Amino acid sequence: MEQAALQRRAGVAVDAGGLRRRLAVGVGGLFRGGRPLGLVVLIAALGFLSLYPMGMLFYGSLHSAPPGLSGEYNLDGYAALATSENLIVLANTVGISFVKTSLSLALAILLAWIVARTDTPARGTLEVLITLPFFIPPILTATAWGMLGNAQVGTINLAWRWLTGLEAPIIDVFSYGGVIWHMMQYSTPFIFLFVVDAFRAMDPALEESSRMSRATRSQTFWRITFVLMLPVTTSAFILSFIRGIEAFESPVFFGTPVGIEVLTTKIYALINHQSQPQYQSATALGFAVMVLMFLLVTWQWRLLGGRSFTTVTGKGYSPNVTQLGWKRWITFAICIAFFVATVALPVGQLLLSSFFQFFGFYQLDMLTLEHYRGVWNNREFWSAFANTMLLGVCGASATMVLGAIVAYVTTRTRWQGRRLIDVLAWLPWMMPGMVLGIGFLWGFAMLPSGIPIYGTLWALLLAYIALGTPVAVRVTSSAYAQISNDIEECSRVHGASWWQTLWRILVALAWPAFAVGWVLTFFGIMRELSASILLYSPGSEVLSVVMLKMWTGGKPEEVSVIGLFMLVLVLVFRWVQLRLIKTRISTL
Amino acid sequence: MFKRMLAAAAMILALVAPAVAQTDAEWQKVVEAAKKEGKLVFYTASIGSPFYKEVVRSFEAKYGIRVEALEARASEIRERVRIEQAAGRFIADLHHNGATTTWLMQQDGAFQPHGGIPNARNVMPPYEADEIRVPSDVTSFVILVNRAMVKAADEPKSWKDLNDPKWTGKMLADDTRALGGGAVFFAVTYDAFGKEYHEKLAAQKPVFSRDLRNNERRTARGEYPIYFPFVLAYYTQIKSLPVKVVIPQEGRLYVRFDLAVLKNAPHPNAARLFMNHFLEIESQLVYANAGYSPVVKDVVERTSEDMRPFLATKAMGTTVPQRQNEMLDLAKQLYK
Repeated sequence: MEQAALQRRAGVAVDAGGLRRRLAVGVGGLFRGGRPLGLVVLIAALGFLSLYPMGMLFYGSLHSAPPGLSGEYNLDGYAALATSENLIVLANTVGISFVKTSLSLALAILLAWIVARTDTPARGTLEVLITLPFFIPPILTATAWGMLGNAQVGTINLAWRWLTGLEAPIIDVFSYGGVIWHMMQYSTPFIFLFVVDAFRAMDPALEESSRMSRATRSQTFWRITFVLMLPVTTSAFILSFIRGIEAFESPVFFGTPVGIEVLTTKIYALINHQSQPQYQSATALGFAVMVLMFLLVTWQWRLLGGRSFTTVTGKGYSPNVTQLGWKRWITFAICIAFFVATVALPVGQLLLSSFFQFFGFYQLDMLTLEHYRGVWNNREFWSAFANTMLLGVCGASATMVLGAIVAYVTTRTRWQGRRLIDVLAWLPWMMPGMVLGIGFLWGFAMLPSGIPIYGTLWALLLAYIALGTPVAVRVTSSAYAQISNDIEECSRVHGASWWQTLWRILVALAWPAFAVGWVLTFFGIMRELSASILLYSPGSEVLSVVMLKMWTGGKPEEVSVIGLFMLVLVLVFRWVQLRLIKTRISTL
Repeated sequence: MFKRMLAAAAMILALVAPAVAQTDAEWQKVVEAAKKEGKLVFYTASIGSPFYKEVVRSFEAKYGIRVEALEARASEIRERVRIEQAAGRFIADLHHNGATTTWLMQQDGAFQPHGGIPNARNVMPPYEADEIRVPSDVTSFVILVNRAMVKAADEPKSWKDLNDPKWTGKMLADDTRALGGGAVFFAVTYDAFGKEYHEKLAAQKPVFSRDLRNNERRTARGEYPIYFPFVLAYYTQIKSLPVKVVIPQEGRLYVRFDLAVLKNAPHPNAARLFMNHFLEIESQLVYANAGYSPVVKDVVERTSEDMRPFLATKAMGTTVPQRQNEMLDLAKQLYK
């Protein structure tokens, strides 16, 4: 039975179509017959996507004027960083990100364990609900929380005063706590998406051995389960921590009004708040952030280096599900509480507001469907939606293919140069998005006019691939790290090519992680603004740009309609994704 | 005396008339050339604004010239233009941005002379056109109060009333340390009332937020009784909410938006024609009815009755681009 299940899993892609096979033979030749050539192509592609825009930014950080203007080389941008004000900003940034990532990681692991390894009721539905907050545009949840949790007239505080008669507010989202809470709504589902499949793809034999050796449930969790999850959890932690350092919406919305400044709000001010944008200082600050991030990634490499985290072997298995008894209702309540706090409250506020003329004014005479009509009749929105779907599908697919290859090279081979490839793939994640967007603008605009990238959809597509690759690599490499080399060697011994093995064994076994990566990348593309606003051209508007236009044009209610529309889309995607996983992997 | 004046006027007319006729003929050539170009690429920092789109629609309908518009924030538009020109990609024809950014770009050599715009002669003081820049619309900044929280008697009458201790900690404001309405407020009131005014205002602890469209709603919902400086043109969209516009006795603050033809524009005649179209009374009325001050004469009188009283108030002042950095630095020192 188990063997049959494994055969089905391994055979997932054995029936792959002819086109795919022909492509595999063609491209695979680069890696099989001419590894150096394959590596060169990979390094060149990653270099163009990440090193080239970074190079432009590095030039900008060392030159008194941005590319194209005369100036002089100096270190003024870096020298300007060494101030006590910047140290406070740095401490704020790191502190906020560390606290929110730690809390999110703990919560995400708990939620993932509940969903993947317990008999909690309605786990399938809970899995979809828990991930929803990640896909809601942050500006919308920020607005909703601004209405729910402001100290003066926030709905929660009004309810609190009504219930208790106390004047002091129970919460104030315009605070450190507010910034952290808002960021957690994104980082918890983000980390959850990483770890939930790793929990599933774990052979329980190791845990059972631990229990049989008289280890307690807690000892087994910390000594076996937790350690085996290290590649995934550290990857998720680092990705989320870096995202926290680079977060903009939460600090600008809830922190800036009360004097909490972080690196991104500082960079934004250097570019947008001055009459003469300070690109040299902004890019220098971006590189300072990057060095910080690089140290963190190096720490992860050292932590994981030389250790084995294999949990998926040639033997069949089914994940161990803990029977919780009556306690399963407690775990169920924890998941529901998370859903209520992060989705039901803010989305409920948005949904309600979308039927009224203005956010937060719930009078009968203001009931309207005009926001829905406005979006429905907005030709620019539909054009942007079509562009975004095209870029999202192509971008996410291309990114995952690139990510799968990079992850394979970096985790499954001993090739020289693999570390360089890993670094190149990481780079775009380490640079704050609003700085990297300028790098893409400079880089693509400065290309020879014979290369038709600037001003076309290609510019957006390439930027999205570059921005998504780090996530794609982390997701797939974490999954690869759990797959035993035996299966791969078996495939190669039986005559399969490098590409066939990658596709039919690794990708097939890492399919759930691959699907998660695709969804993360797809919705990352849907939300991306920093590069999009600088790279779009008339006719190639994307959804995030149109939403920004609507927001600044005083139509937040219509933006919330689009946000709700995106949520429905997420539900459909997640449903299809989970159906696919269930169909293709019978052990789930 | 009267006869002599009449004779002088006749002489001036006799001298000017042929020139006007010649200008008309030349302008007709510009119109024909623009139609042949058939397209205009328009970069605007007026992001999310429906008003320029209305002007674009009437231009397209009148001349059959297609307009491709690209919207982004002021600094993003500026950087796109700069890098495109540096890379030899002359894509855009016409630039629409705040006066400070436009002036800075002019110093960078981003524009070329427009070659003459007939309607520029209708531009009224204090606005003025030159051989590069033509004013297009003017944004005014005033005070917004929550009607339910601020009684009529307590409404601020002057910008100085914002320093009344009863408003301590109760005012929402656009950031005085950032380019935008807050900086305009700081620069004009600093020059008018001096440093002491701002020292007192900083002690009032205004809460800064740059989410302008949310600020007006936060005020309407009662988070704060006062919000300043509020963009007057936003009022038409929120006038059914419990808010009221207060125009201080010293007057409105304002910032001008300019049009300028970009260097090596591929469609220079279409750009010129569009600039002229922007200054037509019908185009200016679109803006005026929304609360933007028109830049040409004979428009305020035709504006909707709702908006006319606001636009008829006096303008207090605007920023001087050359002093913008100095003012931003001062604001940073005073508001920490």
